[in-house]
Amino acid sequence: MADRRRINGPPGGTRPPVFASLQESSTGIANRAQRQRQPAELRKIFLKTGLIPTASGSSYLEFEPSVSLAAARSNPKSLIPPSSALKLACTVHGPKPLPRSAAFSPNLVLTTHVKYAPFAARKRKGHIRDASERDLGVHLETALRGAIIAERWPKSGLDITITIIEAEDDRWWGDAPDSHDASWGMMNVLAGCITAASAAIADAHIDCLDLVSGGVAALVSDDSNQSASSAPRLMLDIDPAEHRSILSACVVAYMPARDEITELWLKGDSSRAALEKDDGRTGHEALIDGAVDAARGANTVLAEAVRESIARSFA
Amino acid sequence: MPLDTSTTYPLTRLRLDGRRWNELRLLQAQISTNPASSGSSYLSMGNTSIMCSVHGPAEGRRGDGGGGAAGSGHAVVEVDVNVAGFAGVDRKRRAGGSDRQSSRIATTLRSAFQSHLHTYLYPHSTISIHVSVLSADGSLLAAAINACTLALVDAGIPMPGLLCGCTSGMSGSASTPRDPRHDELDPLLDLSLPEEQELPSLTVATTTAVPVGENNMDDDEEAMKVCVLTMESKVHATYLETMLAVGIDGCSQIRELLEGVIKGSRG
Amino acid sequence: MSNQRQASSASQVPHLSPAELSYLYTSLSLPKNPIRPDGRSPTQFRPLSAETTILPGTNGSARIGFADGTQAIVGVKAEVEKTVLAADTLDSRSLAQHGDALNREGEQGSAAVSGQGEWVQMSIEIPGFRDDDALPVFLSEMMRESLVGSVAGGNGDAVKEMAGGLKGRLVINKRWHWRLYIDVLLLSQPLAYPLPLLSLTTHLALLSTKLPKLKSTGEEDPFFDDDWAAAEYLYPRSNISKSLSAAPSYPVRPPVTLLVISVGDNVIFDPNREEIAVADAVLAISVTRSGDSETLKLLSIRSIDPPSRLTQPGIPNSENVNMLGATAAPGEETGGQEEVEGVWRPRRGGVKRSVIARMVKTVLGKGGVGEEVLEGLEGVEVQ
Repeated sequence: MADRRRINGPPGGTRPPVFASLQESSTGIANRAQRQRQPAELRKIFLKTGLIPTASGSSYLEFEPSVSLAAARSNPKSLIPPSSALKLACTVHGPKPLPRSAAFSPNLVLTTHVKYAPFAARKRKGHIRDASERDLGVHLETALRGAIIAERWPKSGLDITITIIEAEDDRWWGDAPDSHDASWGMMNVLAGCITAASAAIADAHIDCLDLVSGGVAALVSDDSNQSASSAPRLMLDIDPAEHRSILSACVVAYMPARDEITELWLKGDSSRAALEKDDGRTGHEALIDGAVDAARGANTVLAEAVRESIARSFA
Repeated sequence: MPLDTSTTYPLTRLRLDGRRWNELRLLQAQISTNPASSGSSYLSMGNTSIMCSVHGPAEGRRGDGGGGAAGSGHAVVEVDVNVAGFAGVDRKRRAGGSDRQSSRIATTLRSAFQSHLHTYLYPHSTISIHVSVLSADGSLLAAAINACTLALVDAGIPMPGLLCGCTSGMSGSASTPRDPRHDELDPLLDLSLPEEQELPSLTVATTTAVPVGENNMDDDEEAMKVCVLTMESKVHATYLETMLAVGIDGCSQIRELLEGVIKGSRG
Repeated sequence: MSNQRQASSASQVPHLSPAELSYLYTSLSLPKNPIRPDGRSPTQFRPLSAETTILPGTNGSARIGFADGTQAIVGVKAEVEKTVLAADTLDSRSLAQHGDALNREGEQGSAAVSGQGEWVQMSIEIPGFRDDDALPVFLSEMMRESLVGSVAGGNGDAVKEMAGGLKGRLVINKRWHWRLYIDVLLLSQPLAYPLPLLSLTTHLALLSTKLPKLKSTGEEDPFFDDDWAAAEYLYPRSNISKSLSAAPSYPVRPPVTLLVISVGDNVIFDPNREEIAVADAVLAISVTRSGDSETLKLLSIRSIDPPSRLTQPGIPNSENVNMLGATAAPGEETGGQEEVEGVWRPRRGGVKRSVIARMVKTVLGKGGVGEEVLEGLEGVEVQ
């Protein structure tokens, strides 16, 4: 029974009004962010370790905001920012002894928590972790467990907590949720989580096989003309807000020194990729290769951040 | 067809699903349905269908050892009831994993079987019963008791006799006292969900010791014991005896059916 | 607690000794023809029994039991729900149509609206796990994502009905849609990673799912035919089946998710609990048949944390104090990195890209395992 005694606000939050005329006019269309980068060009990454002194290891990661955001800030046409960029913080606690009640484990027991801040996405997230956050936690655990040399810490636990301060959009905010439905932003978030967690683990001086970094590649169909015939193209490190239609995306956790993938998550229809004629790869192979390339790029930033971390600890 | 049994029943003398007052719904059952457990059963009474599996008697989990009960000289019966989301007419949205109805059934089952089974034969062990309700159409507790009995028999856990449950209700406005001159109200056996929602009802489960030796020819009634009796609706005290008698009679009908299932599976 | 934690990632770590693990690994990684504990060939599935439409109270249901006794029951229920555009989104198309007169609605109809993935809800119940534990959440997200992601390609009458995939089929009109609840019940503690069992059962349940026939037209509030016999299948069937085969053919089928492991150079399907314990890599690959074309389409790949990373290492004789006598104190650090023949080491690191490519190819290829599984499922009579 609804509470009739008072008038409650809408439960889902409100947005400033946007008029249809604004959408139709040329200025409205210009509001949509456009990708300015080359297909293989990655966004800049800011990665810094050791920001949280109470944790044994920590890191902060930020993706470069889209060019359109800066443009919209300087010349505001709408109150709504056109795109968002990932910002997240990662803390590592441990290795620490397992609680007395826990069973014996010959290996380091890894626990991962991924939590969106309530204000991280355009729609408010609750304080209790929902299914997508738990899902991200499992993906992250898979990615890291392959890299950590866990038998060096028997009977110990390692807690990795990631707080997402600003999340990627799943689509341009003005699009209806059905235009490209899947939560593509989550894949970028996962890639960021992997890179940041890897830096934090190195900052906590946990032995790893290699620095594992995350990368995303996607098949997007051509923005300018919407005809179905235009073949989708492979792009690295996509910002979902900049594309009308994403057909398929892939995120990997990659260790360059061993050329191995510890975590792979691919979804969507990758069969219609437009590849070079002499390219023998199928769509999904091209996607995985693209994601690996993106991860290699992220790895250079990661290595630099870890070098800083080491320099600081010996300074 | 109107859902209100109390108005249609006196005219037709037939219930919503076409049964007379003392008829059970079609009862079908099967044992050893799940080879991965010690004992298992599938039982359907009308549209209520239940799967039950028994694990054990086995050593209790280490973490529970501190709980005193596991250290005693008796086996501990654990019951876990899960009502599937698709069991009812509308899909049920559940927050925590178990709701009030299923936890109440679990508590009743646990206390019934804890005292019914010969638990003293298995000290320091646990008998865990898992009940899944696949489709719910009234008489859930009674059907669960019957399913558990079959699964426990399949698991070979000793008990003095089959524990059989049944529901009975009272048609019409049973909150006024009984009028001996024109007694138009009938008790009803084995209630379905619409009846259960409208009419006062009770669930009763009885057991008899298996007749052995020279007692073989004796009447069952001699050794019959009521093990479970729950009633959560209002009825005038004068009707209670009738309802109970009908319910107990239903239990012995069900006992014959269950015995048939157990004997049939041997052959 | 820790048991639950470890269970969250892949499956419970089986209690096998390092020597057993090493033996199992060696026999599974034999080049060309691995020896599996139960004597199956690498691509062979475990025998199973299946039935559909077992629960009259649901729109569709199925049960599958493996020979080892693990059983799953899936019930699908559908409810009519009003379509709400979320407050923070804004569909320029619908705004434009509001600007216009509303009389175009008849011709465009449901084609103008495509479904939303949120309309398909999936919940998995596994005894011994809570609803929000990582394993049920991970499994349901994995199966849901391929389910809502599958979009039919090709053309043909029946395929047209499924344009936009499952979520497109759920649209009634612009204001109403079906919401699909898929409840998966695992009836016993999982003996192996339960993914193939759950996926196959869900597949059959969806094939047997019927929705009541719509009697209203266009944009009016929907009302339905009371006659359940007139109900339409969620996944339409084509009547022009080959005269000899009684089984109906489905132009569009729900996806199936297969579990594939790699051990050494071998690719092994439908691993049981012991086999998955020694796997180098575990992938869950979702495929479906796309429209009228013969080839299978890849929908998603997810890597799953192999439990071999959590196992206990074996100790080679050279380091074993008992073998060397008390004099040889374990003073020198051997590092524990080098592999010793016949001594188990927990798997470290990831998987090479070539291995992934080979695993996917075995599933997708012509006459591959994916086709075999789909054909096998077609053999199950769906009433």
